[in-house]
Amino acid sequence: VFPGVRQAQWLTKTKLVEGLPPAVQGIMDNPALGLQELEERAKHMVSHARLWDTAEAAPRRERYCPKLFENLIHICRLMSGKYPSLSKRMLARNCRIAATWERESILLQVRGLSGILMNSMSLIAPVASKEEILATKEHVLETFYPIAPTIDLQEVNVYKELNDTGHMCPLGFRDGYPYSHPHTLFFLESANVRTDRFRPEQLRAKMLMFAFGNALAKAKALHGNDPKVLEQPVVVQSIGTDGQLFQFMVFQLNTTDLVSSDGVKNLVWIDSDQNLYERAQCVPEVKKGVVTKPAGISGFQPDTFKKFLALYLHGTV
Amino acid sequence: MAALGTRRLLRPGRRWFSGTVPGAPSPPASPLYPPVVASITAKSKAAKARRLQRFNQRVHEAATVEEKLRLYGKLQRPKYMVYPQTFALNADRWYRSFTKTVLVPGMPPRAAAAKPPVATAGATSETGRAPEPRAEAPGPAEVAGNAEAPGTAKTPEPSAGAAPCPDIGELRSLACDALLQESFYQNKKRPFLYRDQDHTPGPFLTQLVSTLAASLSGHNPLLASSSLDLNPEVNYYWHHGEEVVVHGHRKGRVDPVRFQIDDNPHLQIRVPKQLPEVVPLESDLGDVPVIDHKPSKLPLFKKQYENKVFIGTKVADPCCYGHTQVHLLPDRLKRERFIKERLEDQIEVVYRSNGIASLFAWTAAQAMYQGFWNEADVNRPFVSQAVVTDGKYFAFFCYQLNTLALNAETIKNNPRKNICWGTDSKPLYDVVEDGNVKGFNDEVLLQLVHFLLNRPKEL
Repeated sequence: VFPGVRQAQWLTKTKLVEGLPPAVQGIMDNPALGLQELEERAKHMVSHARLWDTAEAAPRRERYCPKLFENLIHICRLMSGKYPSLSKRMLARNCRIAATWERESILLQVRGLSGILMNSMSLIAPVASKEEILATKEHVLETFYPIAPTIDLQEVNVYKELNDTGHMCPLGFRDGYPYSHPHTLFFLESANVRTDRFRPEQLRAKMLMFAFGNALAKAKALHGNDPKVLEQPVVVQSIGTDGQLFQFMVFQLNTTDLVSSDGVKNLVWIDSDQNLYERAQCVPEVKKGVVTKPAGISGFQPDTFKKFLALYLHGTV
Repeated sequence: MAALGTRRLLRPGRRWFSGTVPGAPSPPASPLYPPVVASITAKSKAAKARRLQRFNQRVHEAATVEEKLRLYGKLQRPKYMVYPQTFALNADRWYRSFTKTVLVPGMPPRAAAAKPPVATAGATSETGRAPEPRAEAPGPAEVAGNAEAPGTAKTPEPSAGAAPCPDIGELRSLACDALLQESFYQNKKRPFLYRDQDHTPGPFLTQLVSTLAASLSGHNPLLASSSLDLNPEVNYYWHHGEEVVVHGHRKGRVDPVRFQIDDNPHLQIRVPKQLPEVVPLESDLGDVPVIDHKPSKLPLFKKQYENKVFIGTKVADPCCYGHTQVHLLPDRLKRERFIKERLEDQIEVVYRSNGIASLFAWTAAQAMYQGFWNEADVNRPFVSQAVVTDGKYFAFFCYQLNTLALNAETIKNNPRKNICWGTDSKPLYDVVEDGNVKGFNDEVLLQLVHFLLNRPKEL
């Protein structure tokens, strides 16, 4: 069982802020982007992924979840017709990440396939101002006394700390890779069986841990291995979905000094449980000769798609 | 026998009354007898013709396209499974004869005219293509197109609306970045056994086409409303020719030869508007090969299963016309195997047969989605494009579907032929070493860009 967000916060020395940061909100509210026309396309894409994609009656989650993601990314990518600097992005699938850090004398490591990663050539500017970062000093991390914070984590003997740049590169890419800044991580919970999927709380925790891992590896690559407060905070975004419910997250790494629990903390903005649509009916439901639920997508929420697009455009627009 | 409607079939030679009634008989106010037509249930050729005609009538009158497709493929019988990616020798000749396709080497005339730099910009303006990629003045230093004198006073065609030309240097760097990321920079595990194509060329193609389509969407508004699909399914079912049933309880009967293509392209771009025609509907650009043998000699095998017609999405999708497909050749058809077995001339056959079969299936399924079928032939040509590649060597195909009428009765008086333009396979690059791509071939990239920029004249 993966730790919940509260536990993840303690492990990564992070303060939680509800909702998305104002910079992203600003992109969403910017009328010059023409987000209204894209709503129609987004609705088509949802219908395509959920209803029309296969010759069978209804596609299964293993099919429609990645398909929906691909379609949404396609719409976002097509914006690079208007903003050519958007083409300086590259999607990497099945990339492996590894990061190690110490937290109050416990050595922690994040490893594994972190889903789909979008890299960009340029950094995302820090989302929180200097004052907000300094204000986190006063924030006290929630502890779980008497439960140890490492409950439910797998204890493993680590023989090779994977942060050294030897032949194993922590970021998953070799040196000299031009798209060196991790921009957004995407997590698709596409297992057909509900018990194989992460619940929303667990998904958010997983997103936080991997975003932290990527940011930490990038910070160590940029500023060296010594633990310190970063002048240039590293921002990594993360989006998780199971095909209908979306979780949005913006993580800002302010410090690599993670041994103590005082001092500047990292910041994370989470917007959780955003529905993109209410239901997708492939075949109309008919009860006693009357159509109770017509076929099609009902309850489409354009705001969720706007947030997706805003997170995509963040850093370039 | 029920009288069907008010059709009056006057059969010559059955006028028993002509001897008794003097002069021309005045037509009675209402028919005295029901029309004399063949039986529906008898075991006779006339009855079979009448049943066929009733079936055709039913399909013509179907209310929706889904109903039409359902009736079209209702009867299941053993059919030949045609595989676009096949190792059969000279398969492209057989596939051309099954689909009544003429193969024209090289690319269609408008693409050939658009390729040479700048000078023919005026000639291409009426075909509605974007102006050739010329280097933009403030472009990066390594742009090779600088030699192509962008300073001439050629204005972009008015329909393009003063869109700037795509920068070939930038596109080349995009392509190289995609290639390097997949083959060099990203840490990946070793490829699975015999699955080399999924390890590097597959992701590279996805990245390449998706980033190119995105960056070219500013120049081609059709791409801005397109739909990109990874690993879709394309199916088509048709009849062509006749044979005698060999064994079984239906032995001795004359049956149409049935074919089914089930294809899984690597990538598919679909658009809401149709691509323009390349040549007029009735043009004749060559001959269709005639093969006297049974299709099973290719070898092709028969199986009976669902008769599917599918373009990649259901009929309700607004993006129902095809633009470009990308096919990735699997490991079992790689060049080294053919060279080892001393079948070098079959390498091109593989690319051609894949292009012809896949594009025929796609365009014909698109036509069926618009309501055409072999009794109601298309009234406008359906055009689609495809890129067949094994990761390094690229071959480009453009297909124009002029006719769907391929079964035995309708093909008799049908002069139309389908046309496929195709190139030979050329390498995109020579080798990737140490973070550098050596020997990058701009022509191949240019051709891909031309494909993606293709759009109807109005846009």
